[in-house]
Amino acid sequence: MQDTFRLRINGEVHAVTVPPDMPLLWVLRDVIGLTGTKFGCGIAQCGACTVHVDGRPVRSCLLPTSAVGEQAVTTIEGIGETKEGARVQMAWLALEVIQCGYCQSGQIMSAAALLAQTPAPDDADIDAAMAGNICRCGTYLRIRAAIKLAASGDAA
Amino acid sequence: MMRSAVSWFERLGRTRQILAIAGAAALVVLLAAAAWLVGVPGAMDFADGRKVALADYPGADPTGVPAALAGAGLVERGEYLARAADCVVCHTGPGGVPYAGGFAFTLPFGTIYSTNITPDEETGIGQYTDAQFLAAVQRGVGRHGEGLYPAMPYTSYGYMTDADILAIKAYLLTLEPVRAPSPEARLAFPFNQRWLMHVWSAMFAPHKGFMPNAEKSAEWNRGAYLAEALAHCGECHTPRNLVFAIDNRAKFKGAVAAGWRAYNITQDRKTGIGDWSEADLLSYLSTGHAPGRGTASGPMGEAIDESFSLLAPEDRRALVAYVRSVPAKSSALPASLAPAAPASHRLGAETADALGKTLFEGACVSCHAWTGEGTLSPLATLTGARAVNDPSAINVVQAIVSGDHRAAAGGIISMPAFGGAYSDTEIAALANYVTARFGAAPSRVTEKDVASLRRQAGG
Repeated sequence: MQDTFRLRINGEVHAVTVPPDMPLLWVLRDVIGLTGTKFGCGIAQCGACTVHVDGRPVRSCLLPTSAVGEQAVTTIEGIGETKEGARVQMAWLALEVIQCGYCQSGQIMSAAALLAQTPAPDDADIDAAMAGNICRCGTYLRIRAAIKLAASGDAA
Repeated sequence: MMRSAVSWFERLGRTRQILAIAGAAALVVLLAAAAWLVGVPGAMDFADGRKVALADYPGADPTGVPAALAGAGLVERGEYLARAADCVVCHTGPGGVPYAGGFAFTLPFGTIYSTNITPDEETGIGQYTDAQFLAAVQRGVGRHGEGLYPAMPYTSYGYMTDADILAIKAYLLTLEPVRAPSPEARLAFPFNQRWLMHVWSAMFAPHKGFMPNAEKSAEWNRGAYLAEALAHCGECHTPRNLVFAIDNRAKFKGAVAAGWRAYNITQDRKTGIGDWSEADLLSYLSTGHAPGRGTASGPMGEAIDESFSLLAPEDRRALVAYVRSVPAKSSALPASLAPAAPASHRLGAETADALGKTLFEGACVSCHAWTGEGTLSPLATLTGARAVNDPSAINVVQAIVSGDHRAAAGGIISMPAFGGAYSDTEIAALANYVTARFGAAPSRVTEKDVASLRRQAGG
């Protein structure tokens, strides 16, 4: 069974005809072609697939497309258009956070959502928001430093 | 007579007099206790009204299959009834062939296993005559006369009609035979004495058959037949007494079975389901979730997947009508459920053990959020769920260990099983954090409790 959904992604409306229980991640990558969001574990345990749904960080690998509705979806391709997203990206570049890069779309999405909620996070706030984003290269120290740099506004 | 008894008593020495009095008192107490245990009311005795033989009930027949299947063949009717009786859940081992048995019941005094009920001649029910099959299902007597343990719910199935049981048999005989001998029970003395089960059955599971209540509606009676004879709700939801008989004085008040808490499903508004609407209950039975009420997992999740969700809608309505007629009894659970937790990780209840929060923020928060309101699906909402408001944290521990898998309106929603990834210490810390943050009262579960709960659930 397929349904047609009008998804608002990065400010554009995309009409997609997919099974209602297809995870949003598959629609983003395989139907629309926005491949910046990554598939990691598929069970909402690694954070690689994080996107924003109405500003909240959500694991798109388990989010049924039918649950998105009218809510605005922002992906890694669109996050640079937001104030926090732009700051995070500049800080990431300034500190060379990325190693292999596979998890980094998710890291940046979670970090941008954190700064939108908590403009000056301390270590405990960063842990609370970022612990569910796993980095197998172990770039956690640079991620933490870059979030603080982005919060300070000095990277731009 | 009286005089001689008195003089007999006076001739005893002082010590013997005291012993005789103590002996007599002990006998009276024992007899009273036995009468109390044996005199447990029947499953439907709570309802006023005259009980009549099935043939004398003037309304629609409460037994058998729903109207849509009335014209169906014996096997198809048997399949429906086997689902309604939820045979498959216990008669299937972990990862095993359905109905081939081998599921372990871990009891305080040993382990017993469900049997193979595929039609295999040697290890299944292939050689059972109709009379032998009826004896096993209704009275707990095996093919060779051996007493079955009441993990087989013959206390409940005894209410099933012969016709319905033989329809189930006809369905089971169409399955592929599987050669699968049941593992030997491992029980301590005296529980390994199977002949004792005949005494137990005679006292606590007398096979009386289903007697409709003439003063209740056809829907209520159908619901009673579904709940008591088939779905056997009371086997988990009603506490058992000292001798493991279902204690209907506390009918549906809630109990722990197979390491999970089966909650109070009486009409008590605070600790039961008295404030659940009919729509809430129908939603829960058909999907395993009702908005703001939590999500079924464990044995209730299985009952929903394999049984309740597959019933005819009118049968679910009848079940709900019946269950809602069971009188309120309050349980020792918090009387009010906690509201949503604060959005910030800094606010809300803390536990002494920081490990719980560390685990929650790494593995749980992406779906359950710091508030407890599910980010991916309402099925992941912890707020309002009885499990997180239960200071024993029994079901929280089990859900963490075994995860959950539900078919919701929008698709399958899964929670991974963390039992293999986390130690008992970690699971205890996490469960204590979850109840402290999202529940009405924090739990104090220990590593040992978690190990015990894993064992009870057969893990």
